[in-house]
Amino acid sequence: MSVVVLFSIILLCPLAAFSVFSLLSLAGRNSPRQDLISTAAMLIAFVCSLLLFVTANPENPDHQTLTWLPLESVDFSMGFYFDSVTAVMLLVVTIVSSLVHIFSIGYMHGDPRYPRFFAFLSLFSFSMLFLVVSDNLLGIYIGWELVGLCSYLLIGFWFEKKSAADACKKAFLTTRVGDVGMFIGMMMLFAKFQTLALYGEDGIFAAVSDLGAGDLTWLSIAGVLIFCGAVGKSAQVPLHTWLPDAMEGPTPVSALIHAATMVAAGVYLAARMFPLLTPDSSLVIAYIGGITALIAATIAIVRFDIKRVLAYSTISQLGYMMLAIGAGSYVAGLFHLTTHAFFKALLFLGSGSVIHAFHASHQAHSHHDENGHSRGSEAPFASFGIDPAQDMRHMGGLRRKMPLTFVTMLIATLSISGVPFLFSGFWSKDAILVEVLYRAMSWHSVHHYILFCTAALAAVITAFYMFRLIFMTFFGEPRNREMYDHVHESPKVMTVPLIILAVLSFPIFNTIVNKGFFENYVKTPEQPHVGSPKHAHDSQSQGVLYAQAGLSVAYAAEDAHQHHDDHAAGEHHNPIHDKAHNIVIPLSFVIVILGIGLSALFYYWKKISAEAVAAKFRPIYNLFWNKYYFDEFYNGAIVAFTVASSRLFGLFDLRVIDGIVNGIGFTVRELFSRLIGWVDNTFVDGLVNWVAQITLSVGGRIRRVQTGMIQNYLLIILGGLVLLILIFRSL
Amino acid sequence: MNDLTPYLVISTTLFCLGIFAVLTRRNAISILMGIELILNACNLNFAAFSRFVTPPDDISGQIISIFGIVLAAAEAAVFLAIILAIYREFSTISPDETDTLKG
Repeated sequence: MSVVVLFSIILLCPLAAFSVFSLLSLAGRNSPRQDLISTAAMLIAFVCSLLLFVTANPENPDHQTLTWLPLESVDFSMGFYFDSVTAVMLLVVTIVSSLVHIFSIGYMHGDPRYPRFFAFLSLFSFSMLFLVVSDNLLGIYIGWELVGLCSYLLIGFWFEKKSAADACKKAFLTTRVGDVGMFIGMMMLFAKFQTLALYGEDGIFAAVSDLGAGDLTWLSIAGVLIFCGAVGKSAQVPLHTWLPDAMEGPTPVSALIHAATMVAAGVYLAARMFPLLTPDSSLVIAYIGGITALIAATIAIVRFDIKRVLAYSTISQLGYMMLAIGAGSYVAGLFHLTTHAFFKALLFLGSGSVIHAFHASHQAHSHHDENGHSRGSEAPFASFGIDPAQDMRHMGGLRRKMPLTFVTMLIATLSISGVPFLFSGFWSKDAILVEVLYRAMSWHSVHHYILFCTAALAAVITAFYMFRLIFMTFFGEPRNREMYDHVHESPKVMTVPLIILAVLSFPIFNTIVNKGFFENYVKTPEQPHVGSPKHAHDSQSQGVLYAQAGLSVAYAAEDAHQHHDDHAAGEHHNPIHDKAHNIVIPLSFVIVILGIGLSALFYYWKKISAEAVAAKFRPIYNLFWNKYYFDEFYNGAIVAFTVASSRLFGLFDLRVIDGIVNGIGFTVRELFSRLIGWVDNTFVDGLVNWVAQITLSVGGRIRRVQTGMIQNYLLIILGGLVLLILIFRSL
Repeated sequence: MNDLTPYLVISTTLFCLGIFAVLTRRNAISILMGIELILNACNLNFAAFSRFVTPPDDISGQIISIFGIVLAAAEAAVFLAIILAIYREFSTISPDETDTLKG
């Protein structure tokens, strides 16, 4: 089958599933087996994606486009671009989405809005796939906003809970801040190139090569602005605050949207825009990614809500991907995106399994709790402001009760911690570390040394908090005996997706998370050398231009030099690269042992008391616990400012605008209406009345003649006759 | 007496008497009589002019006079019938008092 047909099937299946639900809803009917419809649609899309993945030729991208909106001055086109990145993204999205669909059949069972949930999942899958296959910025933007909408709908799925309703608004508004930047960036590109298409002869990527050196700053600004959208969507600092709150949504949603796919869309966008990135904008991206990775990891250490830990872990890992893209290691970033999608979805679904079990036990324990969503209100213990079914302080020892969930989550944890060789997470994280160190060494760039240290530190912390989660949840003695006694392993429909995802964490069992395969499959697109004469790739002109762009000459010269090397011999035979590799591999062992060992000391052997350490470093602990006061800052500065200015503007509206309008209304009414009314009354009515009066009085007089006496008439006739005779005689 | 003038004098006198009667009488019968006088004054005029002004063999004036007499007879019959009907209705034949149609 041709690529176009497969693409159409992949896109139309989830859309059809959603349409079934919407049409039946419009007709006032309930869709009876929406879960099966949506799941089947996703499975079909998955099969088609697999076909595409197998048949795709990464050397020869397929690009189809047609005019969508012909305007007078410019035509907007819609189309798809199919290269190896698209193939990988399609496969990742459809696999995770299918498994989440299946998992949800068990997890959402008995929910009053069960069909609606699946319809929204389908809509989301469609939007995400649309975003991935679009060949132009407009299509990407449409998909971008659609996934944002679905995220909003699904976070607020249990809108009866105030926290969920608040969280979905927060997610929507926060990501919108980034989207505004992205839109401005798009408009900058549009203003310059008169097109939003990326590929082809008229595309932006082709046009960028023709830019002069003077446009470098401009291009950097445009790149950073477009990256703003990715900052919002991928929850990078400083717009990351919405993602932890988004955990108020159902856990399968967290797994699909807020771990595997939608938040990775930001990374995907940054990767797609890779040819537009100048050294300056790359550095901004790398720093934001690095800072995010570290900040989110440190916050995750002190969380007690199992889903919040995973949320901060997601932010941290997304930071890693951004760092990789910013450091120019396009392949490593996308590779980490792929591996992370699987193991993080697994972690979320595993936590969903735990929450489901706890929640079921809570319901079994307190029989009068009929409504499945009013969690926590009748908890027999202090809730600490966290949903007790998600609070790790009430868990413990669950490995005996939920062996399958335990084993699969352990695999995911080993993977995300980067346990060497066996697990996919090791390979992708290792690839990023190697690439960043390699950039640092080859460019002698202080920036990249700093970023490397940040990333390595974040890796240690990642291993630490992930094992903290495992130890608190599955090891030790049960802390809440009543709940523990009622916990059971989840049904098969929930455990099977876990097992499949666990298998996807092992590179030896499948190729998509295999580093060697991935690097062969996905190629770094060539970055056009902005400002340089087309045929002169010599390092000197590059160096001068990049120096103008504010970076060191060495950085640029080495980059141009490397560019040649890459083409000549391939990266693996590069001596600096090998050196970086030799440093990072042992370092990875140290990182893992340090992270897991510390975690075990704290939470398994309990040699060190976490409370004591927290008490000793109280200010730092407070900083982590309060999430670096980002929310407080936003509430205090931005929200308060917005509310205050809204009041001010409201007052302005009420007093000034309304005053002007009312004033005009008053003037018109008093002046013009009165005047015109007076004219009407006096002149127009007067004329009419005058005519009537004249007619009346004349008629009153003339009627006297009509005496009714025949002899009078005769007399008048006679008089008239005489008169006529006299007149005619005198003529 | 081969002159038009006496005829015209007589017919004028008759006409004036007829007008006078029609205008002044309070009795419908008297008015009818006035009208008859006017008609006859006209007939006289017709006959006189036919006799003295037109050629001798043209007697259309005299014929119109005869028509006028016939008409006067028919008119008198109709008039009297109307007066009878009016009298039945109003018990009077004064035209001043039968003023139902007056606005």
